[in-house]
Amino acid sequence: MRRKRFWGVVLVLAASLLLSSTFAIAAEKVYINGIDANFPPFAYVDKSGAPDGFDVKALDWIAKEMKFKVKHKPMDWDGIIPSLKAKKIDIVASGMSITDERKKEVNFTIPYWKIKQVLVAKKDSPLTVEKALADGNKVGVQRGTTEAKWIAENLIKKGGKKFELVQYDSAPLAVEDVVNGRIVAAAMDDAPAIDATRKKPVKILGGFGMKDEDFGYAIRKDDAEFLKKVNEGLKKLMKSPYWAELKKKYIDK
Amino acid sequence: MTTPILRIENISKRYGKKDVLKGASLDVNKGDLKILIGPSGAGKSTLLQCINFLVKPDEGRIWLDEQEVHYANKRDLYAYRQKVGMIFQDFNLFDHLTALENVRIGMVRVKGMGKAEAGERAVLELERVGLKEHMQKYPAQLSGGQKQRVSIARALAMDPKVMLLDEPTSALDPELIGEVHAVIRDLGNNGMTMIMATHQIGFASSLASEILFMEDGRILERGTPDKIFNHAENARTQEFCSKITELYGERG
Amino acid sequence: MTVEYGDTMRHHVTIFHTFLGAIERMPESLIAIMDALPYLLQGSMVTLVVVVGAMGLGFALGAPLAVGQVYGHPALRRFIAVYVWFFRGIPLLVFLFLFYFGLCTALDINLSAFTVAIIVLGLISSAYQSQIFRGAILSLPEGQLKAARALGMSDFKAISFIILPQALRLSIPGWSNEYSILLKDSAVTYALGVAEIMARAHFVATRTYQHLPLYFAAGVIFLVLTWVGTKGLRLLEERARIPGYSPQGS
Repeated sequence: MRRKRFWGVVLVLAASLLLSSTFAIAAEKVYINGIDANFPPFAYVDKSGAPDGFDVKALDWIAKEMKFKVKHKPMDWDGIIPSLKAKKIDIVASGMSITDERKKEVNFTIPYWKIKQVLVAKKDSPLTVEKALADGNKVGVQRGTTEAKWIAENLIKKGGKKFELVQYDSAPLAVEDVVNGRIVAAAMDDAPAIDATRKKPVKILGGFGMKDEDFGYAIRKDDAEFLKKVNEGLKKLMKSPYWAELKKKYIDK
Repeated sequence: MTTPILRIENISKRYGKKDVLKGASLDVNKGDLKILIGPSGAGKSTLLQCINFLVKPDEGRIWLDEQEVHYANKRDLYAYRQKVGMIFQDFNLFDHLTALENVRIGMVRVKGMGKAEAGERAVLELERVGLKEHMQKYPAQLSGGQKQRVSIARALAMDPKVMLLDEPTSALDPELIGEVHAVIRDLGNNGMTMIMATHQIGFASSLASEILFMEDGRILERGTPDKIFNHAENARTQEFCSKITELYGERG
Repeated sequence: MTVEYGDTMRHHVTIFHTFLGAIERMPESLIAIMDALPYLLQGSMVTLVVVVGAMGLGFALGAPLAVGQVYGHPALRRFIAVYVWFFRGIPLLVFLFLFYFGLCTALDINLSAFTVAIIVLGLISSAYQSQIFRGAILSLPEGQLKAARALGMSDFKAISFIILPQALRLSIPGWSNEYSILLKDSAVTYALGVAEIMARAHFVATRTYQHLPLYFAAGVIFLVLTWVGTKGLRLLEERARIPGYSPQGS
């Protein structure tokens, strides 16, 4: 008897877990911001696990100003545009560069940040940008980024350079490998590069010829009204004193 | 009145190209104990399994209490099987259930009896086969003879009209055979109708109302124990009986 | 000789310095782990719910699949064989993407990444679990089913009351294996944004640049979860054990 009840309990537990997980989806409309939480200082999670960063706080301000609700959801960068198109998320405010290719897929807000692409190397490295990109070297980059694409197309394919491009899940992981000596340099955005120099024995070598880019928030094409709202909020934000505060807190430090 | 309780007519079974049963017929009256003897491969076990359709016969018909059994109809089949108890050579007790639960489960799950009521009946049946004190044990904790007695109690608990016993003692150590025979003898004395396949000639001849000698899928000869063992007409029967007497000791 | 000796000395000194360095760095990495621990442990709850949910779904589907594959109509058996082949053959990540971005969008159903993770892992697990159960059912003596039928049980009753209770007991070691596989597979669901252990370790590492300590901590948490789960299943096996019974002999 005890044995039978025991099996029953196991079954009921399994079933209830399954049901509760399936139906526990909330009903109220909250805009979901998909972030790459591996992109400090624009987007990351703080000590308590709450999303934080320049873009997160900026969008929070905009949402409050424009009276909509927003939640930030950490995601894999590779899947972030598919997620947006599949309505899993509603906006990407997470240091996304505006490119023609992405514009075919999604709409962008007005640009809010100019970003340079730089190479990061060990602090005591004698290399220059030119030497870092010499034949046979290994250079790291975050997979799925504009710099990854640009380097592969312009420096390697068209430029005929013969260094090896190593792809990482995040720029900080590439920085780790710079420190380890597995790669000589990592290509990344300047803001996270500055962040890296504060936390690791690395330095910025300089730009490598890629044109400056603009960051914008990505929004689904059929969501024109939301785009308008966010643009309006973003313009207000950039004129407000809070904008300078954000820059000071997250980027200049 | 001599209308048979169980009528078996012309049962045939083929496995691939081999004819295992070639038209076996048999009438069983209430209280009969029919004993099937014959060399292994003769079809005794197949015949018994065909009788309660654990093996589907290719041909043949069966009547219980003058009602033909339409085994294609599941409900008829399940109802019929409840009335025809089966005892297997290797017991086939349910390994995950205690002796008591083994006896009880048919009453609860098939007959729909309440657990308490079925439990009381199960205790009675176990007492009848002398295993009341072992009722909380699992099959793996019982000896072969005890297992077979539990399986008899399990069959009896369903109130069968006929019992089929397929070499019930052939998997047992010799010293354990006696306790199972005692139970079967007791059943016979209480008027249970039975068909049993066995090699235990001595036991068979002392109890059987009729002996059927099977070979090669056919019932070759039938008659009283005295006739089969001492005055068999068929040469094959004579040969088999003298061999089996040598193997399994003196009859009597 | 002297040169060699000197080299060895220098080598030792270097190792010693590295060792000292490691000790000096120790507090920093320990602090990073301690700081991140509550956040990582929350992640382990997410992982655990995903794994237990997937195992539950895999069980609910796998058990009937196994029964169907052993006792079913030939057409049903073939279908189940294809089902098993399908779900065992596609890599988890591919299946997650197909389901999450493909199927959910095509059918216009909005399931959370968390739910999709449970469903996809559960479907894959059902294929594996069905084979665990199938093996267990096939290992039972044929006479069990015969005896149940002889009592007048329908096949459904015989399977529910006689076959499955025994087969499930025999499946517990296989489950233990399945649990640890699911546990590790669950880390892949981060690709959909499920904030499980590995994802969280990664997040904290990129903020603090303490990659090694955090991945180490994540590894330890996985080990502990594996240990707890297999231990739990062994207790379950012990409780469900039939006295005196061993599946091999009678």
